[in-house]
Parts: sequence; structure tokens; C-alpha cells
Amino acid sequence: MEQRFPRDIKALDSIFQFVAACLAATGIETDQAFTVDLIIEELFTNLVKYGRGGVQPISIELAQDGGNLVIRITDFDGEPFDLTKVPAVDVTRPLAERSPGGLGIHFVRQLADELRYEHAGGASTITAVKRLE
Amino acid sequence: MFEIKRGDGGILYLSGRLDASQVEAAEKVLATTSGLTVADLSALDYISSAGIGLLLKTLKRLADSGGQLKIVNATPRVKAVFHYAGLDTLLPLE
Repeated sequence: MEQRFPRDIKALDSIFQFVAACLAATGIETDQAFTVDLIIEELFTNLVKYGRGGVQPISIELAQDGGNLVIRITDFDGEPFDLTKVPAVDVTRPLAERSPGGLGIHFVRQLADELRYEHAGGASTITAVKRLE
Repeated sequence: MFEIKRGDGGILYLSGRLDASQVEAAEKVLATTSGLTVADLSALDYISSAGIGLLLKTLKRLADSGGQLKIVNATPRVKAVFHYAGLDTLLPLE
């Protein structure tokens, strides 16, 4: 299932409803919803905040592939940004050395079993694969 | 839907889903806290990096003035997100 959403944080409610409908349609256990929502929110908000130059809606697609849930997010016109190249966040640093931001991609790395990025034809596609247990 | 309310003894009760679209509302209340602040997350169903970032910001502000942020009654899923962020080692999480 695929749907497009405006580049606006306020679209999150609609996105979560879409995710719930997708999981229900594929019969995936609802206890996966927390993880899937979290992966998608982090990837979507990252594009909204940092996908400079983009005006077109962002596509979110969920598909079941055997024992995996494949999440594909496509930004059709934002500047290319390979999030897989972002340096790891050190979450073991003491409080004085921590800053509030930068955790979104870290969470996706923790939660997704695979994370890929490709830029082709002016569009950036992020694919996150979550193994269904 | 997300809600943040101040209860008896100044305890903050967060409920619903604290996602990026709700951080502004949460910050209006969290920015007014001082000293030892207890946040009850028993009814918080979901939190993302935006919410965690806000709690980290609040913790740093409180700690800078000798205060503390204490989290109580978080669900296992919400606790897991604190763990991913390394916050479980920076604040009391019961």
C-alpha cells in the first residue's frame, strides 16, 4: 500500500492511521505498530526538516515480503541526503556532553534490520526492512 | 492525541502519543518545571526522538540548576526508547 503525505509534521496523525490500516490489511501483529510508527516518523520528519528544496508530497509505501515488512519512503524533489552515511551517535556520553537532537536516525538504525538509500531520477528513496517476529 | 497535566504534588502526567507534532505543546509545560520534577508516563503510549529530545533538554536545564527529572511508570516500550537514547543511564527511570 502506498500513500503520499504533505511535507508537514502535522501529517503524522494521517501517517499513523495509514500505517495502522496497512498492518491490519496484511495481518501483521499490531504490537509491531509501535516500531513501525517510530521508524516512519523518524524518516519522515528527517525529510521534512532537512530535505531542502523539496515541495512535492512524500510517498510512504509498506509491503510484506515473506517474513519482512518493507518500508519505502520516497522524496521526489528534496536535495539528496544519504542518511546511511551519517556518523553514529554516542549515547553513552555524560549528560553535560549530550545534545537533545540527532537521535532519529540512531533510532532507525536500532530498530530496522536493513537500511538502504538510493538517489535516482531526482528522487531519494529510503528503504527500511523490519523482520517480523 | 497527547496530553500533559500537572497533578497532586506537582507530578506531571503525560498521556497519549508524544510525537514530533506534539512537542511544542509538551514544551510549554515542561519549560515551567524546576527542582525535582517527576513525570508519570504510565499512560504514554508512544514516544519518538522528538519527545526524547525534549525530555533530554528538560533534564539538562533542571540539572544545570541543581534539579532533577525523574521518570516513573513508563511502559516497557517507552522504556525501550529511553534505552535506545541512552537516557536510562542519565535519569532515574522507575
